Amino acid sequence: MDARLTEEHERVQETAREFIESEGGIDLARRQIDGENVIDDLWDELADLDYTAITVPLEYDGFGEGMVYLAALLETAGRYALPGPLPETAAVAVPLIRDLGTEEQRSRFLPAVADGDLRMSVAVYDDETEPLPGSIQMGVERRGDEETTEFRLEGTKTLVPYAAETDVVIVAARTRESQGYEGVSLFAIETDHDAVEATRMDSLDWARPMYELSIDGLTVGEDALLGPLHGGGSALVTAMDRFSVAGTAMLVGAADRAVELSAEYGNEREQYGHPIGRFQAVKHRTADMWVDMQSARSLVYYAAWALDEDEPDAARAAAATKSFAADRLHRVFGDDIWNHGGMGFTWDHDAHIYLKQAKSWRNFLGSPEANRDRLIDSRLAAERKR
Amino acid sequence: MDFSYTDEQDAFRRELRAWLEENAPDGWLEDPELPDDDAERVEFLRDWQRTLADDGWAGVHWPEEYGGRGASLIEQAIYREEMARINAPPQINLIGINLIAPTLIEVGTEEQKRRFLPSIRSAEEIWCQGYSEPEAGSDVASLSTSAEPNGDGEWIINGQKIWTSYAHVADWCFLVARTDDSGKKHEGLTVFLVEMDQDEISTEPIHQPHDDRTFNQVYFDDAVASEDLVVGEIDQGWDVVMTLSAFEHGSTSIYTIEQRYLDLLEYCRTETRNGTPLIERDRVRQQLADFDARIQAAKATHLRNVSEQMETGTPGPEGSMDLLVSDELRNDLLNFAVNLQGPAAALWENGHNAFDETSGYIRSYGAWIAAGTGDIQRNIIGERVLGLPKDIKSETSHRSE
Ligand SMILES: Cc1cc2nc3c(=O)[nH]c(=O)nc-3n(C[C@H](O)[C@H](O)[C@H](O)COP(=O)(O)OP(=O)(O)OC[C@H]3O[C@@H](n4cnc5c(N)ncnc54)[C@H](O)[C@@H]3O)c2cc1C
Repeated sequence: MDARLTEEHERVQETAREFIESEGGIDLARRQIDGENVIDDLWDELADLDYTAITVPLEYDGFGEGMVYLAALLETAGRYALPGPLPETAAVAVPLIRDLGTEEQRSRFLPAVADGDLRMSVAVYDDETEPLPGSIQMGVERRGDEETTEFRLEGTKTLVPYAAETDVVIVAARTRESQGYEGVSLFAIETDHDAVEATRMDSLDWARPMYELSIDGLTVGEDALLGPLHGGGSALVTAMDRFSVAGTAMLVGAADRAVELSAEYGNEREQYGHPIGRFQAVKHRTADMWVDMQSARSLVYYAAWALDEDEPDAARAAAATKSFAADRLHRVFGDDIWNHGGMGFTWDHDAHIYLKQAKSWRNFLGSPEANRDRLIDSRLAAERKR
Repeated sequence: MDFSYTDEQDAFRRELRAWLEENAPDGWLEDPELPDDDAERVEFLRDWQRTLADDGWAGVHWPEEYGGRGASLIEQAIYREEMARINAPPQINLIGINLIAPTLIEVGTEEQKRRFLPSIRSAEEIWCQGYSEPEAGSDVASLSTSAEPNGDGEWIINGQKIWTSYAHVADWCFLVARTDDSGKKHEGLTVFLVEMDQDEISTEPIHQPHDDRTFNQVYFDDAVASEDLVVGEIDQGWDVVMTLSAFEHGSTSIYTIEQRYLDLLEYCRTETRNGTPLIERDRVRQQLADFDARIQAAKATHLRNVSEQMETGTPGPEGSMDLLVSDELRNDLLNFAVNLQGPAAALWENGHNAFDETSGYIRSYGAWIAAGTGDIQRNIIGERVLGLPKDIKSETSHRSE
């Protein structure tokens, strides 16, 4: 047992930090927010640093690392609210292809991802207001004879992160009349088909674009089907757990930075003849922010490790991570605004960038309430076995 | 990063578990119940401590040469977890074992270690910690109990301590007193090991909100300690005070809280209201799940803290986080458990409910204060971890330094 990051993880964080800062740090997010697309250039550099290859298996030119390594990197990315579909690609799509893909699919996608030539995202929602898993409908028609099987996809997915900035989107579709995650199939769909169109939505977090993806009668072959027909549901659940942990890792990095900003300001800003950090209302609020950030970080580390090790409580740990972080880190960013007074409530201050990211993350991939339901169900199931 | 236990750590757990199966007090595993009568309870707990000590399961974290097992911090976490799992009787000499002995091991003389450590382990001698005074709690350096040399190799102690846990049963007191008041507040303090069985010392129990009398006022009226009972240097007791405080902040009660949580879960599964199990209510489920997430976080945080400490060697300010998190969790959890009793929450003991937590709930407010209040822990985090400016008044407070 050594529940800390290894020296190698820390080295990765350090290099990532130096790199992102040399590129402008959180200014990258600001530029993205201002309407520039920083993702293409950034992605090439991330690929040069091999970050895109982290979770790709060794035999496909990657590093074969898991969620722990990735979470360490994403924590640093989160400090700067770094734009780009790294969580979607490295935490969601790559492991799905690794686990479900045919040899042909793996060799088609994985080396290209490792090289930085292919970015991926994932499309689960059909309706912005529906909680998962109710909304993975999409018209899919199967046709074919013994020789060939084809699928015709028809419908619209919504809330697809970075759809226009990615080459392939993994689309979850219900291929059989069913409930929940039953009867769900996953398709790897290239975004440059004529029948596929991505329309930008007005996302709360402008650094992280969301799209509507309409698929208008697209016919694909079996080589687009990822995993068993009707049987992609359980892999999708795990993929979303990875996504939850990856996204939360980014928020933890952001929260770490927010605490740092509050502490710096507490030493700098003076009122009534004292640095404000001497006032306990401020000091104690900042201490509480730190405790919440560390608690969320502990949950991320444990869940990432449990996912990598296939521990029996991995899903429960991911649910705990998402539900805890969604509520509490959101408060950390709000408190950072508060600690900075009027200064905190400006576009120039970073706190709002983090706050928006956290808020849009709250209900994405399951609200805290839904995650708490999952958590208690799995706890009850485990306890019965005790 | 690796949250898994090594073979050695697993073996430690198995060995302890097997030992507990064999040696837990009669009937304890089926029905953990302490004797009601005060004197009987003390005897029961001393017996239990002796049983632990005889087989090397007391003070497991002490070095082997002093009767411990040299257990690593991870093994100590396992120890706490396993003790919580069987709801083990509380260790009557916890202050001696967890705070005073490690401090003596670090800064005591060889003679003091040989003299005191064995009887601490076996609870043959019970210890109390004499820091707080009526006018000095959080700001312990402002204490006024005095010690003066009498010229015959002895120190004469006068003053009053308060909220001293277990002083009524203690044989020895780890006492801090002022030996020089000419300088700054935290200079001129000295730590003494004081035998409680003297006519010059009297204790008076204080009635606590949960109807216990486990802490006390202690009066010193020309009490005596010989000079070989000084810990560390004369007038340099502040360092010793700090050493003990670090140990005080460096342990966790998260495993017993987790056990209470599991009990509550079981209760909610079986207890019905209007024919429906509590666990089927949305609000109950949501709240229990939130506790679950907080407990998972606290455990992983503790393991991260001890992993760090295994390298640095000394307990750092991170212990204040363990303390804050678990004190708040305990109170929230027990508050929720009491609320679930329905109107019966108005009763002190409601025998018709399996989960009867009223007194534990009241007691949990004490934990919030005991090892330095939550405010003091937040000062420690703010100042020592985050580098915020020092509190005006806390520059000399023992719990904040
Ligand atoms: C169950 C229990 C067991 C105990 N056992 C022992 C024992 O065995 N030995 C022993 O020596 N003592 C013991 N104590 C005493 C305990 O250590 C003190 O009560 C504690 O340190 C607080 O001191 P105080 O009671 O004087 O409160 P005060 O210091 O007077 O505090 C009163 C309030 O003011 C706040 N406050 C004080 N200073 C600051 C500051 N600088 N910044 C912000 N807020 C501040 C506190 O947080 C608190 O809310 C025990 C207490 C309890 C409740």
